Amino acid sequence: MTLIRNYWLSAVAILVSILVFLVPFAFIILMTFKEQRQAALLDFSWPMGNALWGNIVEVVTTRNWMLVTAFVNSTILTVVSVTLLVVFGAMVGFVLQRRKTRFNGLIEFLILAGLMLPPAVVPTIWLLQGMGLFGRLHGLILIEVAYGLPFTILLYRAFIATIPRDLDEAAIIDGARPFDVFFRIVLPLLWPVTVTNIVVQSVAIFNDFTNPLYYLPGNANATVQLTLYNFQSQFSTSYNLLFTNIALITIPPLLVFLFFNRQIVAGMTAGAVKG
Amino acid sequence: MAGLELKSLYKSYGNVEVIKGVDLSVTHGEFVVFVGPSGCGKSTLLRMIAGLEDISGGELWIGDTLCNDVEPRDRGIAMVFQSYALYPHMTVYDNVGFGLKLAKTPKDVRDRKIRDAARILQMEHLLDRKPGQLSGGQRQRVAIGRAIVRQPEVFLFDEPLSNLDAALRVDMRMELSRLHQDLGATMIYVTHDQVEAMTLADKIVVLNGGVVQQVGTPIELYQRPANIFVAGFIGSPKMNFITVSVEALGEGSVTIAGPDLAPMTMAGSGAGLKLGDTLTLGIRPHALVEQPSGAVAGRVALVERLGNETNVSVDLPSGVPLLAVLDGDRQLTVGQQIAFAFAPESVVFFDGEGRATPL
Repeated sequence: MTLIRNYWLSAVAILVSILVFLVPFAFIILMTFKEQRQAALLDFSWPMGNALWGNIVEVVTTRNWMLVTAFVNSTILTVVSVTLLVVFGAMVGFVLQRRKTRFNGLIEFLILAGLMLPPAVVPTIWLLQGMGLFGRLHGLILIEVAYGLPFTILLYRAFIATIPRDLDEAAIIDGARPFDVFFRIVLPLLWPVTVTNIVVQSVAIFNDFTNPLYYLPGNANATVQLTLYNFQSQFSTSYNLLFTNIALITIPPLLVFLFFNRQIVAGMTAGAVKG
Repeated sequence: MAGLELKSLYKSYGNVEVIKGVDLSVTHGEFVVFVGPSGCGKSTLLRMIAGLEDISGGELWIGDTLCNDVEPRDRGIAMVFQSYALYPHMTVYDNVGFGLKLAKTPKDVRDRKIRDAARILQMEHLLDRKPGQLSGGQRQRVAIGRAIVRQPEVFLFDEPLSNLDAALRVDMRMELSRLHQDLGATMIYVTHDQVEAMTLADKIVVLNGGVVQQVGTPIELYQRPANIFVAGFIGSPKMNFITVSVEALGEGSVTIAGPDLAPMTMAGSGAGLKLGDTLTLGIRPHALVEQPSGAVAGRVALVERLGNETNVSVDLPSGVPLLAVLDGDRQLTVGQQIAFAFAPESVVFFDGEGRATPL
């Protein structure tokens, strides 16, 4: 009885978490095994037969292997954007924290404005067309970097304040040029925040649906989230294929999270960011 | 070979002047200590020499080069910071070799230099560790090692021992002294601890409010302070100051007296003095000797018995406190009357503006 009295709240919490997190996931997995007719029922039933392999082949080869193109595009988009975000975010945070000028207030206002203002799609498209970047992958990379930068900078700046300035100065005396100070001293010490940034931004960019939809039209340019539209239409939707697609494109962000999750813990226990 | 020449150096932050025209010349191989109370500008001066602070006015010469606008890496200096400033993500080996790596020194030369420095500082067994795994004294060694491998003309130390405990501080102080003898390089050392200053320095520079108060050897500063500030700052416990006035001027003698001093006649030309001039008499606590007929008398306020000596705090008639350090163990009771005598040559006089003046 005491066991129940002490732990009933924990038990309820665990049950609710299972319901909220695992049930939808289980639904996706079950759907990937069903063939089209059973999937169309959209119920929580055990699959009759195993259509998994057929579904995967169908999803991957649809529309001239579009999913493969999409994976390549999304990977390039994510890796390049996150790399640029990390480097530029840390640089801006570093300079903003270390060098006090009268422009700091203005720059901080612009960063906050970047977080608060809603993006205006049509003028952005007009601007991209003017620069010849509309409908091209590097145009979208710039868009993602621009949208992600304010948040990245805010994260970095708070952390850079904890790195003693003496370290910069010691490096300068040792003969380091500004880029050496940044890349050899400051950036390595920022690793815990960098991991946070990588996880947050890469999941957001990989899973981004609206920006590729607006700024990257065309079949050759598809990103993974846009492939979901291959299996939905007004009058018929192949739910088994749709959910197989969902399951396939969920794998990379999951891997990123699992991999770096360990890194975060390792980084914290190695610890000792201590002058 | 590099001496150092500071010519009317100024530093200001906006309208606030922190260094107000410092002139100083340091010859090669000298151990110079900047000493002064906190906020006197000693660290700022050091950082100006290092190149971490811009110079607002004046000239800085290191060796034969005008270094006002030379980058820190080209000044031939190395610096040890108060916080050690070791790179936490690198091993001791990489910490020490960082400067050499930046200078693109070949790997074998670099390795030899790092191991030489480690041998000099007896820290070869620490090379594979990270700074987080070192004790305070060991970190200090690494920081010094990082300075040594650069083979600088001038070493700069910014209060390097202030984070160590008392016992370790004494050890490291001796080690620094030995290092200075071994390397023969010019060293500039900032501290607010006057014991460090007295024991390490060939030459002490006393700073206050951004102005050099006096430059000289430790003993010079102790025995012949240029003004009241230096007199009060150098020497521990602090020098006592008693206000006196000139009572009589004779042939080759001056008689002084005051509320806290019975009339005393001392040898002196009396040049520049008038009857009734007010002077400040400075006397070190160690120079006072207990004597019933002594010229300074008062009531015992506090006794500290240390065994080998006894510190006595005395309230003089005018209310000014006086500290005396007496040899041996004395049994004194609080409230009793006591009188001290002193040798006339152990006294320093200061005029109304605080400058040392002969009688």
